[in-house]
Amino acid sequence: SRRRGSEGAAREVKMSAPKTIPKDAQVMIQILKDMGITEYEPRVINQMLEFTYRYVTTIIEDAKTYASHANKSNVDADDIRLAIQCRMDQSFTSPPPRDFLLEVARQKNQTPLPLIKPYTGPRLPPDRYCLTAPNYRLKSIQKKVSSSAGRISVPRLSVGAVTSRPTTPTLGTPSVQSVTTKVGTPVSLTGQRFTVQIPPPSQTTTTKPTTPSTPAVSNVLINPSLIGSKNILITTNMVSQNSGGESLKRKHEDDDDYDTL
Amino acid sequence: MAAVQGGMGDADIKTDIKTEPSADGFGNNNANDGRVLSASPGSSSSTGSNKQTAAVTPEDQQTLLAVLQFLKKNKLSESVEILRREAGLPENSLDPKANESAGAGSGGAAGIVDLEGGDASSLLSRVTGSSSAGAQAPTKAAVAEDQPDVSVVLSAYSQQGDPTLYKVYYRDLKKFIETVLDCHRAELSQVFYPLFVHMYLELVYNNHESEAKAFFEKFSGDQECYYEEDLRILSGLTKKEHMRGNETLLDFRTSKFVLRISRDSYQLLKRHLQERQNNQIWNIIQEHLYIDIFDGMPRSKSQIDAMSGSLAGEAKREANKTKVYYGLLKEPEIELPLDDEDEEAENEEGKPKKKKPKKDSVGSKSKKQDPNAPSQNRIPLPELKDSDKLDKIMYMKEATKRIRLGPDNLPSVCFYTFLNAYQGLTAVDLTDDSSLIAGGFADSTVRVWSVTPKKLRKVKSAADLNLIDKESDDVLERIMDEKTASESKIMYGHSGPVYGISFSPDRNYLLSSSEDGTVRLWSLLTFTCLVAYKGHNYPVWDTQFSPYGYYFVSGGHDRVARLWATDHYQPLRIFSGHLADITCTRFHPNSNYVATGSSDRTIRLWDVLSGNCVRIFTGHKGPIHSLAFSPNGKFLASGATDGRVLLWDIGHGLMVGELKGHTDTIYSLRFSRDGEILASGSMDNTVRLWDAMKAFDDLETDDFTAATGHIHLQDNSQELLLGTYTTKSTPVIHLHFTRRNLLLAAGAFNP
Repeated sequence: SRRRGSEGAAREVKMSAPKTIPKDAQVMIQILKDMGITEYEPRVINQMLEFTYRYVTTIIEDAKTYASHANKSNVDADDIRLAIQCRMDQSFTSPPPRDFLLEVARQKNQTPLPLIKPYTGPRLPPDRYCLTAPNYRLKSIQKKVSSSAGRISVPRLSVGAVTSRPTTPTLGTPSVQSVTTKVGTPVSLTGQRFTVQIPPPSQTTTTKPTTPSTPAVSNVLINPSLIGSKNILITTNMVSQNSGGESLKRKHEDDDDYDTL
Repeated sequence: MAAVQGGMGDADIKTDIKTEPSADGFGNNNANDGRVLSASPGSSSSTGSNKQTAAVTPEDQQTLLAVLQFLKKNKLSESVEILRREAGLPENSLDPKANESAGAGSGGAAGIVDLEGGDASSLLSRVTGSSSAGAQAPTKAAVAEDQPDVSVVLSAYSQQGDPTLYKVYYRDLKKFIETVLDCHRAELSQVFYPLFVHMYLELVYNNHESEAKAFFEKFSGDQECYYEEDLRILSGLTKKEHMRGNETLLDFRTSKFVLRISRDSYQLLKRHLQERQNNQIWNIIQEHLYIDIFDGMPRSKSQIDAMSGSLAGEAKREANKTKVYYGLLKEPEIELPLDDEDEEAENEEGKPKKKKPKKDSVGSKSKKQDPNAPSQNRIPLPELKDSDKLDKIMYMKEATKRIRLGPDNLPSVCFYTFLNAYQGLTAVDLTDDSSLIAGGFADSTVRVWSVTPKKLRKVKSAADLNLIDKESDDVLERIMDEKTASESKIMYGHSGPVYGISFSPDRNYLLSSSEDGTVRLWSLLTFTCLVAYKGHNYPVWDTQFSPYGYYFVSGGHDRVARLWATDHYQPLRIFSGHLADITCTRFHPNSNYVATGSSDRTIRLWDVLSGNCVRIFTGHKGPIHSLAFSPNGKFLASGATDGRVLLWDIGHGLMVGELKGHTDTIYSLRFSRDGEILASGSMDNTVRLWDAMKAFDDLETDDFTAATGHIHLQDNSQELLLGTYTTKSTPVIHLHFTRRNLLLAAGAFNP
């Protein structure tokens, strides 16, 4: 088998041509043997040596920096010690100590398990902690579509872009422009409701309702697959129309839960 | 039991100086004294003034001299003068004694053990900087061998006497134990290993490198073979700095090694050690060992070997006394749409151990509340949705067609081999109905395949979903986008190898845990990542969904396991207590308990409701890599790198079986659907089937064994082994019984 072959190769190399292996590699082989590692591919030695060189070089360079900072002409043991210490705290951290963990655990375990609300659709954390928001923004020529830009940074925004439908909870027309310019402004319309609307592409400030924009499935989950040709960025149900969509809305209560944690 | 030793003459000092309670729960005497001596120099002068009222015993003298030296070292000449005057000491009365009695020395120094432990963690160091510096200074002084007083009294890791004499003490103890009666010898030999390690660590800590090395060389060969790994790690540890970054070692130092010794053997040991002049060993035992005494026959070597091997000794008896509700939750009543043949099939089967109710309408009468089962609302569980009810109906239908397994009716095994994985396959999971298989890889991808001919499809985009007829019967098919149909899907998101993977019971979600410290939730409708749960900042070695969904558990390198709910971005429970990484996490079938296996070679059972550890199982000699609960919830099987499968009775907290046969790490364990057969898969490229019914049937748990936790294990591995199936060169990393009791296995071809 290949693995046995490689071991044989490792052994062979050691025995047949000891002089051609550099001293560092011989030392590394000895270290592995001392630590009880007997089976390894020959590339492991190269990897270990690479790590050793990189580590030592980093330490010495750091030490040189510290020495020059202290206006010393030579690097001495204290600099090296300091360099090692700093690197340890940065790269080679170890997990927190046991008593700290016990204390944290004790506090955490005191709170009772939260009750589970029934019939709430996919049980996910508040959107802020999910990876379900779009991470891009489509730049569009028309103003009406660019209102969707406001949704990017704060998915919780209720952006009223559609003025066409009297039933939609939206702001008046002026909000369209304001939202586009200041992307970050939280324009909260309905107060408690988190809704995001789809601007159908042909939407204008006319009063004519355009293509039906009441998707049956309104999972925030399916965002990524919506990058269709239709220029629709986020879809949820249209709150206004159907009262049956409550279960699918991410209410602010969720965020309240978060805040009290 | 381990009473802190007396021999302290300095009662006054203790009462006068106020100290903070020690976090590690060391004896108050020690803590007080320790802090006295490491407190700022200002207070030590007041100490001196107190001392003059106490009788100047030899111990007092020692302490005084030590304090004097300390003050001198720090050039506090005025305080030196005051102290000398008040204590009435003559000038230059430094009287180095090679072996002062342990009284003052241990008393003073012992308390500082936890202070030094605090060095490593900023949180424990309630001691001020000066005191830790104070503790450090004398240890530096200890390097200069001319003043052993200071080092003994003030050094961190209570150096009990001359380091060169450690060999002598150990050898004497060895000789004593060898001359003891046979029946006691096995028990007393348990003391060797922890004593050896602690003495070695003391020498290292106090910078006696050469003595430490000599001590190690002389006595490391005597230790039990299963401690070989630990000893090898110790052999590389020769300086104090090496100890600092090693969390496991620090935990080992600060936690007590538990030994179970019968009263008679213990009396022997105690008498022998106390009658000697220099009973340093006795003090070390007091310090670092917890001796759980039981009344009864001393244990034999084989019994001891079966239970020992973990990093912290065995488990205290009290640790396994909590009541554990290991019964199963009642299944909900579901209207089963039966046609005639299904009804008949159901009526014929009278399997008492099956999880599902036999007949829905009639079954409710026979099901009284099982006293060993938790109540339905002990922990909140998600409600049953319509889709879940449909799943349950499918489950029951399949269960009627299940093959009854047994020693004369072995399951067929179907092996799914991952080709071209190049040693990158790190985790595998299958859904309960065996329709999907997922693999986690070292290149940080997660791939899902369909086991059935049905392809994997993504859900349509929102606009398309508008157009479908929501009222039609096959709406669930219509929401799927045919254009995306494929045999497998790849999901990217992790930034490190994926070590744990788990499907949700409703097949909507997939969890994966990775070396990058996150646990990711993926949707199996859109095949995209939904949430990344951050909490472990170190590799997460395993994760699993609860059998009812909604909760999941994860365990990793940071030595804790966390319980999460999918809709909380922070964990709900933190299970802390292990001394080393947690390598395996499993839910109990009733979702009220979580079992974790760890590199410290113990298995702990945690209560989800309170977060407490309710059981500790020791006995494995290597890190545990696989756990499996029996379907009836009563038993737990575990496999480790030592190649043995151990069986545990959860209710009593005892080991009830040992299955030997594998020659390499066991990475997968699974009980058959009715619990008759246990399948184990290992790195030695084999799958072995064991007779679980038989293993659990012959149990004799009379009162004595239940009380003391000793059980006579029969060496019947050979009889219990029903079959060994070898693969060509594929280690088995996952096993799964389908609902009809066909065994599926998975692994990556490794030529």
